[in-house]
Amino acid sequence: MKYMILSYASQQDYDGMAGQPSDLPAWSPEDFAAMASFMDGFNTELAEAGELVETRALAAPVHTRRLGARNGSPFVTDGPYAETQEVLAGYWIVECESFDRASEIAGRLAGCPAPDHVAANAYADVRPIMETADEIAY
Amino acid sequence: MPAADVEDLLRQVAPQVLGAVVRRYGNFDLAEDAVQEALVAAATQWLDGGVPANPKGWLITVAARRLTDMLRNEQARRRREDAVATWELPRQQPDAGDQSANSDDTLILLFMCCHPALSPPSQIALTLRAVGGLTTTEVARAFLVSEATMTRRITRAKQQIKDSGIPFRLPALQERTERLAVVLHVLYLIFTEGYAATSGPSLHRVELATEAVRLTRSVHELLPENAEAAGLLALMLLTDARRAARTTPTGELVPLAEQDRALWNRDYITEGIALITAALLRGRSGPYQLQAAIAAIHDEAASTEETDWPQIKALYELLVQSSDNPMVALNHAVAVAMADGPAAGLERVQTLAKDKQLAEDHRLHSVRAHLLELSGDTAAAREAYRAAARRATNLPQQRYLISRAARLPDS
Repeated sequence: MKYMILSYASQQDYDGMAGQPSDLPAWSPEDFAAMASFMDGFNTELAEAGELVETRALAAPVHTRRLGARNGSPFVTDGPYAETQEVLAGYWIVECESFDRASEIAGRLAGCPAPDHVAANAYADVRPIMETADEIAY
Repeated sequence: MPAADVEDLLRQVAPQVLGAVVRRYGNFDLAEDAVQEALVAAATQWLDGGVPANPKGWLITVAARRLTDMLRNEQARRRREDAVATWELPRQQPDAGDQSANSDDTLILLFMCCHPALSPPSQIALTLRAVGGLTTTEVARAFLVSEATMTRRITRAKQQIKDSGIPFRLPALQERTERLAVVLHVLYLIFTEGYAATSGPSLHRVELATEAVRLTRSVHELLPENAEAAGLLALMLLTDARRAARTTPTGELVPLAEQDRALWNRDYITEGIALITAALLRGRSGPYQLQAAIAAIHDEAASTEETDWPQIKALYELLVQSSDNPMVALNHAVAVAMADGPAAGLERVQTLAKDKQLAEDHRLHSVRAHLLELSGDTAAAREAYRAAARRATNLPQQRYLISRAARLPDS
């Protein structure tokens, strides 16, 4: 069964990771290196266990185009998010035996080193991926 | 690495870096500023710290970071002003199965900067900055305008590109030929501007003619099958080959007939002749190829007398058919005179003088004067030189024409 693990961050969080202080303090190079090294290990282990389908990080929220429709024509809104709004920052698609196993995997992200103010508010969501269109009908 | 080499490297990768950033993140207007800042940062840091192993990658990373910063500031400001930016997605669909839609970024950037919605001065300025990697200061200096004026021109041009909503890709196949003609024309204008400027009192670090040759060379390399791109590159090389002989050490213009041909750049001539020879074999010749062919005949000749004027005349006849430029018609008259004698040429000039605007142009009178002098009618020639001098627009030209008149006896 496939699950998606989603992580979130605001533009301010991205700025902090890039070493740029905002209302939030910036990460130090050591903070960033520790996080990167944890994620490397986490992804390698998942891949070796045969549970990782794909994982990706997304570019900063300012690089977002939102496509809407106006009288049947597409129109674009650049950068639709507020600076403090938490939006999808990255995801893992895992294939494992159960929701509980997927939750265990996501739970290990709690061990990811990060500055206190980030760690205190960090979370990940786990959502089952539908295998067929029939599932939507319950 | 010496400063000049760092600069060459930066100018060479600049369009590729901008292309990579715009392709990935859009926002041509801000991305262009971000790349400029990355180039400036590199120019100082690389001199002290050395060039990184992957210079292009370094520049893309630095520019992308800078772009993120700029977008964050812009979006925050807009939110404060409660002005959400939305734009229509253009209707234009990419050509199905058109592989070249993913073509080289330098070419795509050239097409963007030479967008028909922009005025020629804007096209030129933006091309030099975004594709040529020149700073606004350098572009301003090359065109002898203030930096503030040039900044406004470039900002406005970028805003127009943004408003047009054109996607970062080559124009659709059916309009590509027409758009390429605009690109080549812009490069030609940069070249002629640079060529005129080299006779000025001060040489600038940025040689527009050299820059035009460099950019045209890259277009030719990207589109080796395009005969007009090859023709334009040949025309530039064959013209620029005479640069050293064109002016005296004090900056006075030297006409072609009196130039010291030993000063001509043989490498440029060889390359230009090879290019135009290959291009002409491809069939129907456009105006750049014809002009290059004419320049080649001049460059191949040891003197004015040994020039193959009948062939030049024939080429001008073809050129006149495809152009309503009065200067082409005037040059045609000169070729007629050189091939068939001054009387035949003067007859052509007489016909051209029926055009009221051309009749008031100093160049018509100057040509008439030269032809009268050739025919031995020195009194009429003197009058014509004086008539030309009265209509000439700048001092060196006036001085030249008056000195020609003074050399001739009264009768």
